[in-house]
Amino acid sequence: MEIELEINDVERTVEASKSDSLLDVLRRNGYTGAKRGCDTGACGFCTVHVDGEPVKSCVEPVTKVRDASVRTIEGLGEQDDLHPVQQAFVDNTALQCGFCIPGMIMRSTALLETNPNPTEQEVREALSDNLCRCTGYKKIVEAVLDAAERMNSDTAVAADGGQAVDGDGGAGAGTECSLGGCDCMEGDQ
Amino acid sequence: MSNDDETPKADGGTASQSETVEDGRSEEHPLEWDEPENNDKAPDERDSVSHRTEKYDDRKLVTGQAKYTADYEERYPDLAYAAVVRSDIPHGHVTDIDTSAAEAMDGVDAVLTPESDAVPDTKYTSAGQSYPEPSPWDMHVLNKHVRYIGDPIAAVAAEDRATATAAVEAIEVSYEEYDYVTDPEDAFDEDAPQLFEGSEVENEIVGHDYDCNRMAHIGGELGDVDAALDGHTHVHETEWETIRQSHANVEKHTSLAYTNEDDRHVLITSTQVPNHTRRQLAHLFDIPIRDIRVTKPRVGGGFGGKQAMVVEPIPLALSLATDRPVLYEASREEEFYAMRSRHPMKVKARTAVTDDGDIEAIDIYALSNTGAYGSHGMTVAGNVGSKPMPLYSKVPNARFEADIVHTNTPQTGAMRGYGAPQGTLALEGHLDEVARDLGLDPIEFRRRHHMEVGDLDEIAGMMGGEGANRRIRSCGLDECIERGKDAIGYDDLEQPDEDHLHRGIGMALSAQGTGVAGDELGAAQIMMNEDGSFHLQVGGVDIGTGADTAFLQIAAEVLGCDEDDIIVKSSDTDVTPFDYGAYASSTTYISGMAVKKAAEDAKARILDWGAKLLDEPVGDLETGDGTVYSETSGDSVTLEDIGYEAAYGDDEREHILGKGTHCTEESPPPFAAQFADVTVDETTGEFEVHKLVVAVDCGVAINPGMAEGQIEGANHMSYEMAVSDGITLDEKGRAEVADFDEYGLPSATETPPIESILVETHEPTGPFGAKSVAEVPTNTVPPALSNAVRDAVGVRIREMPITAEKIKTKLDERET
Ligand code: FES
Ligand code: FES
Repeated sequence: MEIELEINDVERTVEASKSDSLLDVLRRNGYTGAKRGCDTGACGFCTVHVDGEPVKSCVEPVTKVRDASVRTIEGLGEQDDLHPVQQAFVDNTALQCGFCIPGMIMRSTALLETNPNPTEQEVREALSDNLCRCTGYKKIVEAVLDAAERMNSDTAVAADGGQAVDGDGGAGAGTECSLGGCDCMEGDQ
Repeated sequence: MSNDDETPKADGGTASQSETVEDGRSEEHPLEWDEPENNDKAPDERDSVSHRTEKYDDRKLVTGQAKYTADYEERYPDLAYAAVVRSDIPHGHVTDIDTSAAEAMDGVDAVLTPESDAVPDTKYTSAGQSYPEPSPWDMHVLNKHVRYIGDPIAAVAAEDRATATAAVEAIEVSYEEYDYVTDPEDAFDEDAPQLFEGSEVENEIVGHDYDCNRMAHIGGELGDVDAALDGHTHVHETEWETIRQSHANVEKHTSLAYTNEDDRHVLITSTQVPNHTRRQLAHLFDIPIRDIRVTKPRVGGGFGGKQAMVVEPIPLALSLATDRPVLYEASREEEFYAMRSRHPMKVKARTAVTDDGDIEAIDIYALSNTGAYGSHGMTVAGNVGSKPMPLYSKVPNARFEADIVHTNTPQTGAMRGYGAPQGTLALEGHLDEVARDLGLDPIEFRRRHHMEVGDLDEIAGMMGGEGANRRIRSCGLDECIERGKDAIGYDDLEQPDEDHLHRGIGMALSAQGTGVAGDELGAAQIMMNEDGSFHLQVGGVDIGTGADTAFLQIAAEVLGCDEDDIIVKSSDTDVTPFDYGAYASSTTYISGMAVKKAAEDAKARILDWGAKLLDEPVGDLETGDGTVYSETSGDSVTLEDIGYEAAYGDDEREHILGKGTHCTEESPPPFAAQFADVTVDETTGEFEVHKLVVAVDCGVAINPGMAEGQIEGANHMSYEMAVSDGITLDEKGRAEVADFDEYGLPSATETPPIESILVETHEPTGPFGAKSVAEVPTNTVPPALSNAVRDAVGVRIREMPITAEKIKTKLDERET
C-alpha cells in the first residue's frame, strides 16, 4: 500500500506493507539515522518526532502515521550547520559510539521544546527511556542542559560553538573510495 | 620464585609458550627508560595532545549520517538476509534437520546445515586473539552436537527479514537429548554430564581435563604461600560471586558478506578485530588471507563482545552458497542468549596478616564458568589474578589458581575488564573485611602495601603473563586516593537524622594493563598530499571510543599541522596497516605509538624538504602551525609549499610517506581509586547510592574529554555489575533475558552521579606519556559498594548483585 506523510518537511508517498513499523519505512527510504536496537520499544534508539511528539518508531505502525509530519535526525542540522542540541552534544564530548545518539537528540529536542529550562532531574527523566551503553549519561545530561542554555540565549551557536567547524563538511561524508572504482564502503565509515 | 614450565601466559598471550624469569631481572627491566625527548612535552608545549579536540566522527554521528554495518543495506539491492536456527535444548545430538518446508518457501535462497558444502567443518575458536590462539578450537560454525540453548544448527538466506525468520521457524530439528549440567561446581566432577571428549578439541589449553569438564587450569606462585598461612598470623578467607553480565552492545552483532568482481570475499562487519577475523576466516574457509577483506564501519560498542568472530562465518557461508551479498543482523534476543557474556565466577580470597597489619600472603582461587565453549576461558581467568594482585607489590607471598569449566550454558567471552572485575571484587572486598576485622583503616591498610614507582611487578610475573616482571615507571595511586577521598567527602560524612538510616563510604583500588605485554602489534602509515594535508591510515580499531581522534591528535602533535588537515582511515584490512585490534586497553598505547612513529617518519622527510627549500640545516628546523620553520633564522615554509615541491619539483620528486610499526614488552598499569557513598535503610535493606567517585591514573590523557567519557561509561557498567542480575538462566541454562526491558542496564534516572577525576602521570613508554584508561574503572564499583554497605550497616554482601533483600536478610541474621 501507499502511505502519504511528511518527512522532514518534504511530502512523501512511500510504499509500505501493513505490518511495517514507521522505523521499517524510514530506514528503507534512506533515513537510516534512526537505529534499530530492539524492535520492541525498549531502547529508544529509533526515536523520531511525529507531529512534534517523541515516538519510538519501531513500535509505531506505519498505518498510524498517515498524513503525519515526521521529523528524523536527518531533519535537524547539517554537519557544517548543527542544531544547537547537536552542537552541544559535540562540544561536551557527550557521545562515544553514537548509536544511541540520534534517538537521544530527538528526545532531547522534544524535551526542550516543551520545557526550555529543565532541571538535571527533568533531563534524566526525559531520557530515561533512551538507553546508552557507553557514556554513563553524565555528559549527555550536561549536553542537554548546555543546549538549553544556548537555545535560551540567542547568540548560542555562533558565539559559543566551541570547536572550529571543520571545512571538510565532516569526516568521510560521501567521500569516494580511495582505491578508486572500489565497490565497497570505503571512506564512508 | 616458582616457575612452572607448564604455566601459560594467562592474559591473552600464547598458551603454548611460557616464560622463565632469569636472575638479574633488574637489569632487564630497568627503571630508566630511553624516552625520546619529544615524547615528554610540557603541557603548555602541546598543541593537540591534551586538548579536548572534537571527536573526529561526531558530526556525522549527531546528524545520523554515520554508517554502521546495517546501514549498508541500501547499497546492495541484491541483498539477502540471514537468520539462524539455534538449539532449543541444553545438550544433545541433532538426529535430523527437516528443511523441506523452509526450502519450499517463496523467497528462500539457501538453507545451510552442518552437512552443506558451503559450511566449513573445520574446528575453530571464535576468540579474536593473536596467533597461535590461546583458546581451544572447540567450535563449529553449525553444530550437530549442541551444547547450550542457542548453539547454531542451521542458517537461512532469504529475500527479506520476515521470510528468513519464517523459514527458520519452518525448520524442524530432531534431537537425541543428553544429560546436561548448568552449575559450574556440579560440572567440575567426573560423574557430571560431559560436554567434550578430549579428542574432539584441537589446540587444547594447559590443564585441560575434559573428563571433568575442565578446559584449563592455571596458576602461579611467588614465595611460599602455605608457609605464610601456617605462620602466627591472622588468616582470613572470603568467597565472592559475580554475575553473568551482558555486553548489551547497542548495535547488535551485524555482518555483511559478499564476493566482489575480483572473486575476493569482503566483509563489512561490526568487529573489534578485523585482522584476526580475516585470519580466522581464512583458516575456517580455507581461503588465502589475501583474498579476504574485512572492513569495519562505525561500530555501536564492543566492550569485548566483538573481540570475537561471533557471526561472520554465517553470512560468508550463505553468500558463498547463494552468490549474493548476505546481511546477518542478530536479534536482540540472540544478543542475550547466543552471543557472549562476562564469565560468571566464584572467587576465594585468603590472606595472612601479622599483628602489625602487614600482609604476608595473598592467595586467590577462581572457579570460572566458561559456558559451552572455551573462547577466552583461560586468558580471562588468568587476569582474575594478574590484574588486581600486583597492586599489592609489597606482599612477599602470592598465589593464584583457577579452574575453568564448561557447563551447558551460553558461551562467555572477552568483556571490558577481562577477569579483573571478578578478581577486584574478591581482593578489594576481602582486604576491606580484613582491615575492619583487625581494626585498621581500610585505606591506610592498602596504602602500606600498594604498588609505587620503581617496583618490579613480580606478582604479574608469577603468572608468566602480561607485564611479566614489569617495572613500574608511573603510578598516581596516592593522588588517586587523596583526590577521591576529597571528592566523596570521606572525612566529613554526615549521618542522616533518621535513626534507621545509615550512611557509609566504601573504597576500592584497581590496576589493569595497557595492551598484552609482548603480544601486540600496531602499524600506521601517513601519506602527504600536495596541499600539505595528510591521510593517516591505521589498523587500530575505533569501536566508538574515539581512537581515531586520539590517532589524529598524536599525528598532528608530531607533524605540527592543523588537526583538520588530517584524514583518518582506519580498520580495513585491504588498505590499512596490520593491527591486532581493539582489546586489552591497547589502542592508544600500541596503535597510537605506531601512529607517532609514522608521523615522525613523515616529519623527517618533511624537514628534509624544508631544509632544501629554506637552505638551512635540518637540525635547525621544526614543524609547527602548518609550517616548517627555522629556529635560528625564523624563516619558514608552509607544509603546502613542501607538498607541492615534493610532488611536482623540477629536479627531484618524492611522495612523502611515513611508516610506523610498534610492538613492546611493556604493559604499564593504569590505576583507579573508587569511592561509593551509600545510605542504607536498616529496616528494609533498601539503599541509595548518592555518588560514585573514581580517580584514574591513565598517564597523559590524549583527549581529556574522551578519557572522562571512558571512565564514566566504565563506572556505569561497573555499577551495573554491582546492582543488576545480569543474564539469569533457568534450570536448563536458557537465558531468562530476551530484551533490554528484562536486562538491568541502568537508565539515566537509575544511574547515580558519577564523578571522574583524571590523575595524570607521565608514562615514558607510551605515546606522549599515555597509558590506558577504559578498562580499569570497570573493575571497582562492586567492591566499593559492598564495602560501603559494610561501612553503613555492618553487613557484608559477597554475592553480586547487591540487593535490598540480601542486605535485609543479613541484618536479620545479625539480630538473631
Ligand atoms: S529500536 Fe525502537 S525502541 Fe529499540
Ligand atoms: S554513545 Fe554508545 S550507546 Fe550511547
